[in-house]
Amino acid sequence: MEKARIALLLVALAAALALPFTAGPFWTGLVTQMYIFGLLALSVDLLLGHAGLFSLTHASFFAVSAYTVAILHVRYDVPTALAAPAGILAGTLLALVFGLAVRTRGVYFILITIAFGYVVWGVAHRWSSFTGGDNGVTNVPFPAIGAAAITSHTQYYYLVLAAIIVCGLGYRVFMRSPFGLGLRGIKASESRMQSLGFRTSAHLYAAFVLSGALASFAGVLYVYYNKFVNPVAASFPVSVEAALMAIVGGTGTIIGPFLGAAVVLGLRNWVSSFFEMHASIMGAVFIATVLWAPQGLVGIAGRIRARWRKARRG
Amino acid sequence: MLTSAVLQAINGVSLAALLFLLASGFTLSFGLMRVVNMAHGAYYLLGGYIGLSIVQKTGSFALALAGGGAAIVVLGYLIDRFLIRRTGENHLAQVLLTVGVAFVLGDVALQIWGGDNLMVPAPAFLKGAVVLPGGVYYPKYRFVLIFLGVIVGLVLWLLYRKTQLGAVVRAGVDDREQVNATGINVDRLFVMVSALASFLAGMAGVAGGAFLTLYPGAEWEILVYALVVVIVGGLGSLEGAMIGALIVGLLDAYGRWLLPEFSYFVLFGPIALLMLFRPRGLFGRDH
Repeated sequence: MEKARIALLLVALAAALALPFTAGPFWTGLVTQMYIFGLLALSVDLLLGHAGLFSLTHASFFAVSAYTVAILHVRYDVPTALAAPAGILAGTLLALVFGLAVRTRGVYFILITIAFGYVVWGVAHRWSSFTGGDNGVTNVPFPAIGAAAITSHTQYYYLVLAAIIVCGLGYRVFMRSPFGLGLRGIKASESRMQSLGFRTSAHLYAAFVLSGALASFAGVLYVYYNKFVNPVAASFPVSVEAALMAIVGGTGTIIGPFLGAAVVLGLRNWVSSFFEMHASIMGAVFIATVLWAPQGLVGIAGRIRARWRKARRG
Repeated sequence: MLTSAVLQAINGVSLAALLFLLASGFTLSFGLMRVVNMAHGAYYLLGGYIGLSIVQKTGSFALALAGGGAAIVVLGYLIDRFLIRRTGENHLAQVLLTVGVAFVLGDVALQIWGGDNLMVPAPAFLKGAVVLPGGVYYPKYRFVLIFLGVIVGLVLWLLYRKTQLGAVVRAGVDDREQVNATGINVDRLFVMVSALASFLAGMAGVAGGAFLTLYPGAEWEILVYALVVVIVGGLGSLEGAMIGALIVGLLDAYGRWLLPEFSYFVLFGPIALLMLFRPRGLFGRDH
C-alpha cells in the first residue's frame, strides 16, 4: 500500500476510536449502525463486486441469524458463546439452500433471490407462534462471554469496530487468494474460466455461502445492538438498501460498502429530522446513483485523483 | 372438505387471473425491450388508488378500470422515456432505478390516500354471491375477475400469435436489430407494448383492489407474486405467464388453506424444483 493510504487509514482509525468520547451517545449509536449495515453491504458486494451476481436476498441471512440469536437468548436463556455461533450457523445453512440460485445468471438470479427473500419475510411475518409475528422477539441482552460482559453502548461500539476490522482484513486476504481471483475471473468472463478448467458454478456457490455467512455475522451484531428483531429485518428494502450502499460507496472495494452505509444511513437520519417522506428520499438516492454515480464514491474519488495527477504532470 | 377444496380452486383461479394481468405486462416488456421494471407493483397500487378515487367521484367501476389503467399509461410512459431508457440494457441499473421509482410512488400514494386498508367498491350488480351446485355460496365478483382474466388472456394471445402486429413483436423478441433493419419502427413498437403493460398493471390494481384491498406495502407483495409467475413460466413468454399464474394462484390458495403459516414456503417449493431441472422456467429461453 502507498504511504498516503496507510496514513488515511490510520487517521480514520484514530477518529473511530475517539468517536465515543467526542461525539456523544447519539452519534456513537448511529455509527455503530453504519458499521453493522456496512458489513451487510460488504457481504452483498462479495457477490456483486467480485463475482458479478446481484443478490437481493441477503436480508434473509441477516434476519435468520438475528432471530436465532434472539430466540435462543430470550426463550431458552442460552449464553452468548453458544447463541452467537448458532446464529451464524443458521444463516449459513440457509445460504447453503438459497445458493441453488447460482444455477441461474443475470435477471433470473435477481428475480429468484427476490422471491427467496420474500419466503423468509413471509415466515417471520406469519409464523407468529414461533417468531412473534410483527412484534418480533424483544429484550435481547448485551453479549457476555464468561466474566467478560458488555454493559454499555460505548463498549458495544468498540466490539463492533473490532469485529469489522477483523472482517475487513480477512476479506482482503480472501479476495487476494486464488479463490478471490477466480471469482474476478468468472465476473470478467465465465466461459473463459470454464475452458481453463474451473468449475464456475461450484466456485460461485462457495462464494454465495461465504457471503451468506458474512451477512449472518452482521445479523448477530445487529440483534445485540438493536435489542429486538422483527420481520422488517428480513424485508426486501433491507436487501436492496444493502446493495445500494455497496454501489453508492463503490463495488469491488472494502471501504466502499462502509462509506455507502455511512452516506445512506446518515442521509436518512438527517432528512427524517425535518421531512416526513423519507422513503421518497431513499428512492431519489437510488435513481440518482444509477443515473449519475454508477461507480460510487470510490469511483468518483478515483476520477478526481486521475484528473489531479494529469494536471500535475500537465 | 370437498367443497372447501373446490372453493379454494376458485380462489386460486381468480388470483391467477389477477396475477396474469400483472405478469403478462412484465414478461412482455422484458421479452421485447429487455426491461426489468420493479415499479410494476407500484403501478398496480397507484392504478388501484386512482380507480378508487374515480369510483368515489363518479360511481362507475368500468370508468375506474379504464381510468386507473390510462393514468398509469401516462405515468409509465414518462418513467420509461426519461428514466428507464437511460439505463440501456444494464439489468442491475434497471432494478435499482425502478426500485427507487417504486419507493417514491409508494410514498406519494401514502401521502395522498393514507395508510389504511382501502377497498375499491365493486358495482352493485357484481356484489353478492352465486349459489354453486351443492348449495355453496361464492362471491360473484371473483367469477367476473376470472372472466376478465380469460378475456384479456385470449385477446393478448390472439394479438400475439395471430396478427401481424403480434408477429412483429415476436420477431422483435427474437432479434431486435433485424426487425429494425427491415424498416419497422421498433421504437414505436416499444412504446405500444410498454403502454399495454402499464395499462394492464393499472387496471389490475383496480380489479385487485376490489377484493385484496389496497394498502402501503401491497405493491411489493403483489410484485413478488408476479415475479414468481414469471420465473415459473419463463421470462418473456406470454404462454408461460398464463401457466405460471395458474400454478402460483392455485398453490397460494391451497397453501393458505392447508398450511396458513407457511404459505410462502408452498410457493418456494416449485421454484426450487424448477431451478434444479429447468433454471429458465417452463417456457423460458436464454437471454
